[in-house]
Amino acid sequence: MGRILRLLGPVALAMSLSAFAAMPGRTADLVIAMPNWSSGQATAHILKVAIDKQFGLEADAVEMGTLIAFAGLDSGKVDIHPEVWLPNLDNLVERYVTGAGSVAISPIGVPAWQGICATRNAADIYGIKDISDLSDPQKTAALDTDGDGRGEMWIGAQTWSSTGIERVRANSYGYAKQLTLLEMPEDVGMAAVDAAQATDKPLVFACYAPHAVFELHDIVRLTEPPYDPAKWNIVLPSDDPAWLSKSSATVAWDAAHYHIAYASSLRSRHPDLAAFLERVAFEPEEAIAMSYALQVERRDPQEFAEEWVSKNAERVEAWARP
Amino acid sequence: MVLGLSLLTGQAVAQTQVYDPKTRSWVDYDRTKAYQYYRQHQQVPEPFRRQVVTFRTAEEPGTIIIDGNQHFLYLVQPGQQAIRYGIGVGREGFGWAGIVRVGRTAEWPRWTPPAEMVARDPNARKWAGGQPGGPDNPLGARALYLYEGDQDTIYRIHGTPEPWTMGLSVSSGCIRMVNDDIIDLHSRVKVGAKVIVLMQGAALYKGV
Repeated sequence: MGRILRLLGPVALAMSLSAFAAMPGRTADLVIAMPNWSSGQATAHILKVAIDKQFGLEADAVEMGTLIAFAGLDSGKVDIHPEVWLPNLDNLVERYVTGAGSVAISPIGVPAWQGICATRNAADIYGIKDISDLSDPQKTAALDTDGDGRGEMWIGAQTWSSTGIERVRANSYGYAKQLTLLEMPEDVGMAAVDAAQATDKPLVFACYAPHAVFELHDIVRLTEPPYDPAKWNIVLPSDDPAWLSKSSATVAWDAAHYHIAYASSLRSRHPDLAAFLERVAFEPEEAIAMSYALQVERRDPQEFAEEWVSKNAERVEAWARP
Repeated sequence: MVLGLSLLTGQAVAQTQVYDPKTRSWVDYDRTKAYQYYRQHQQVPEPFRRQVVTFRTAEEPGTIIIDGNQHFLYLVQPGQQAIRYGIGVGREGFGWAGIVRVGRTAEWPRWTPPAEMVARDPNARKWAGGQPGGPDNPLGARALYLYEGDQDTIYRIHGTPEPWTMGLSVSSGCIRMVNDDIIDLHSRVKVGAKVIVLMQGAALYKGV
């Protein structure tokens, strides 16, 4: 979820504008928009391989940002997007799916999660298991890395919208008093988890799933009161400079799902393919494994996809011809 | 026990701690203990010696990860391992955190003291024009110059004529390693290698 919220930032938008300039000539039958994160890249290639196998259609997986991808789905330059996160991108869905009707969203979504994580020893040895434990200075003292008696905690990259919301949550729950909140690029946040694990040091950090970190390390998700819209009052920084003081959130993030999106015109051009895309379903554990294979094991996405489709031949066949 | 007992009986005032795998606990470590230990053993305590460790990460082999708080520098290796080196860091930590890269490297680098050091330190004054590389040069045997894009950040990973300072926060900003280790690291690192400086630790971050 963090990564999609990140797409709403101006940097990601500016970067994604160049995507079409780099697109190859349209020799393939279809274009699949490929995200810049690993599970999306794996899914894009799995769809590419499966569509070739089941329908004999050649597809190009072309890396581009989500906003550009939606514009392409709308204009006919793009046929498929493998990972559209909701409710994060509700505004794009309203515009292109509900409004223009040029884009369709598969009803099947992969459940996603966002919250605060702890290393196994932070939970088991220092007793940090629930969000309320972060307000206990005796427990969070174990997270101190600079000798000031207060713990440190990474809450996300400066460019992510989710990072501001984590700051709101830290203020609302009260643990901002006990912890120094750190903002840094994701690679820095994740390398800190790697280093903490390598030396058996406790660490608490903002996280989201599916994510390779869950396959890489023994990570505990802190429990929280369930999402309640009445207790989730987020004012966006773009709407009010005083957003931080006007916002409050004392509950867990709302559940998110990500879905395949495709150009509605596929329903007439390739109705069997459109029906296939509405049946494709991945488990969250599979998405974590995909992230791990590409990001940690550095598998080639095309090779990984070929192997995945071959291993799951019956499932893929059932999506195509139920 | 990785540290001699004599090392552990002093007063516990240091920020640095050394991990003792036998008791699975962290024990304090300061400059006096460090110097005594080095004189006695002619090497730094076991945790700060170069060693291969299990290191599970999504970062590519060849990436450097610097943990200023624990005074370790990791060079990621294939197979979820890393070579871990002990480091010394500045009194205020590294003063910076984030992602940089190795912009260039040098063997037996020349050292030019910053103007403010020349102004306050007579020893530095005689090298105002630059001290040639050699065993007494504060940069030691090798230096890796850290760049952000094409800009020199002024931060370096370098050797030292004071090997006992590994594990301590005593230098002025840069990352120092014993000469054998910086020679080893230099031989393994490619120009362009990604360097991640963790924000955990003493004043390691800016703008937080």
